Amino acid sequence: MTRQMKLGAFLWATGHHIAAWRHPKADVTAGIDIDHYIQLARTAEAAKFDMVFCEDAAGLREANVAIASQTSRSIGFEPISLLSALAVQTSRIGLVSTASTSYNEPYGLARTFLSLDQLSGGRAGWNLVTSASPIEAANFGSTGLKPHADRYERAREFAKVVTGLWHGESFRGHDGQSFSVRDPLDLPRSPQGAPVMVQAGASDVGRDLAARTADVVFTAAQTFEEAKAFYDDLKSRMATYGREPDDIKIMPGVAPVVAETEAEAREKFEELQELIPDDVGVALLSGYLSISDLWRYPIDGPLPELPESEGMKSRQALVIEQSRRDGLSIRQLARHFAGARGHWRIAGTAVQIADELQARFEGGAADGFNVMPAYFPGELDAFATLVVPELQRRGLFRKEYEGATLREHLGLKRPG
Amino acid sequence: MYLAVSLDIALANGQALTFSDLAGFARQAEAAGLDMIVLDDSAPHSAASSSPFEATTLVAALATMTEKIGLVATASTVAHQPYNLARRFASLDIISHGRAGWNATMAQAPREAANFSRPDGFSAEDFRRRSEEYIGIVQGLWQGWDADALLFDRDSGRFHDPEKMHLLDHKGEFFSVRGPLNVARSPQDTPVLVLSGLTEGDLDIAARTADVILLDERPAAENKARHDDFKRRVSACGREPDAVKVLTDISLTADSISGLAGRLEEEFRLRGCDGFNIRLPAQLSVFDDFIDRVLPELRRRGLFRERYRGTTLRSHLGLAGGGEQ
Repeated sequence: MTRQMKLGAFLWATGHHIAAWRHPKADVTAGIDIDHYIQLARTAEAAKFDMVFCEDAAGLREANVAIASQTSRSIGFEPISLLSALAVQTSRIGLVSTASTSYNEPYGLARTFLSLDQLSGGRAGWNLVTSASPIEAANFGSTGLKPHADRYERAREFAKVVTGLWHGESFRGHDGQSFSVRDPLDLPRSPQGAPVMVQAGASDVGRDLAARTADVVFTAAQTFEEAKAFYDDLKSRMATYGREPDDIKIMPGVAPVVAETEAEAREKFEELQELIPDDVGVALLSGYLSISDLWRYPIDGPLPELPESEGMKSRQALVIEQSRRDGLSIRQLARHFAGARGHWRIAGTAVQIADELQARFEGGAADGFNVMPAYFPGELDAFATLVVPELQRRGLFRKEYEGATLREHLGLKRPG
Repeated sequence: MYLAVSLDIALANGQALTFSDLAGFARQAEAAGLDMIVLDDSAPHSAASSSPFEATTLVAALATMTEKIGLVATASTVAHQPYNLARRFASLDIISHGRAGWNATMAQAPREAANFSRPDGFSAEDFRRRSEEYIGIVQGLWQGWDADALLFDRDSGRFHDPEKMHLLDHKGEFFSVRGPLNVARSPQDTPVLVLSGLTEGDLDIAARTADVILLDERPAAENKARHDDFKRRVSACGREPDAVKVLTDISLTADSISGLAGRLEEEFRLRGCDGFNIRLPAQLSVFDDFIDRVLPELRRRGLFRERYRGTTLRSHLGLAGGGEQ
């Protein structure tokens, strides 16, 4: 059979567009409505997506309370409880949640994800993050955000312990720099061998950790060249760890806006962009750049010179690169990033979007895509009913699930 | 009287319970009108277990399969950071539309700390002070958003009212937590706090913080003295004595069914407790006998309500909201 792309449905409350909650076709109460999420998961499952994916932060996403109050992102479900509920309301689709290596212990995290895996019959995955936000750090002690390198050092040890615990009886305890664990897990072995390991960090140490441990890598890449360079680099690092290139599925984020005509799709997108307040856009951009005083600079001027951040190194570089390349002002950049959160954004017809996805997939820049609908449920429905059938018609995406577990959907080896 | 049923999912006769067994059990308990199910969690007890599930994930799943019954998960203060635990339960409370509770045990599980990078555990005194601080943080975080904080006002662009979101700014001996929680207030205000594994030194903490306490079974006269003493402590904290429900554990066995209704009535009428936590044995079929034979008798005697009157766990238990709004 020809190689087929993998698709994730990245669920996020009212939608990925920062102003999604203000859109009349978004479910404004999504953050307190479990039925909203059950419906989204069922839509994604009916469209044969490999997985639903939930992002996470253990704290507010925006320190400025006035700005936070103009977005829908200060409240929502905690993702492990959310996915545990979805696990028994779906039967085939994978369930992947983000969880932090900085604010958990490996025994507890391994046990919780294994329980989700048991509830779902082998459909769980863990997206490892080290948590770059000082807002989160303040909920877990008074010492502040740890440096990037220290977080990744801890993450490496954390991932090793979790993987060891998931491998069952062979676990002989661990006594390391950051963690000590005496016993194997008290739950039966995973129905898929072990939950799927996902990562998103794109810095140099992040890539090495992914090359060593990840089954799936989410990434943000705007252009084909960036996506291809990342893809080739990550796959080339894997041999060092004795792994085959196909052992990792690289799934860049894509923020599509789809309609019957291209003009309609652009109109739909512009409608959303107009709902973004300038101060919200600038605040979001500040977050990506890991600086707090971007609002001091003239909004129609260029980005100021910035020190290298201890937060999200890779994301910062991406923003700076784009601002220089396209000569964008702070306002333009803010709108641009607010609209897609640094991910690849395409507006068009189903045929146009399928063309773009096909080009990256067949051009060796992606094994699949993590789809980030602008607002829910409308834009997930649109992708499911317009784009997915087009991909299926081209033989690029499955018409039925072939397997039962997330590992089987993704074509990943079962760990021994 | 109030009736909880408690299930140690790890016990089940050496044979793992499937999710559908557990969903069937939850629906049976709901059809019988019981106030809540308390799910033990196996990790604290031993490394050998036959349970495939961790309790909070199981409660999330059961919440979607039931509509009325309260769902209480045991979760350890060693296994979770307070911010994460507060979030998990606040989220469970929204998933269940106001039926979630946290069972915090005040007894330190000997093996557990060694799996959480604390090979030496905590001294009894440290563990108690740490637990008290922990509970205070969790309850504080649960009150971080006022009930009317969410505006959903698309036209003005005001999603929530920033004045109605409150930082915790806790700095204590063991923890430092800024808050607020990133989960909204629940339909029952805050999850129900159940405390178990209490010793004498924990009673004042329970009197200040708990909504429900679970106590082990003692001879009737002793139960009454203990109950009276506890309610005095609750009053001394400036709370209504009725603000904390005292449930006595009853271990259910096949032999204990006959005459059980009478025993429960006697103890309840003596004011030895506000209700019971029926602990099920590995042989779950005994629960059928309890529902078929004991429950109708309690109802006939006017000791247990015929049906649910409200939709939240707090309403089942006759509890007010979880704190200042």
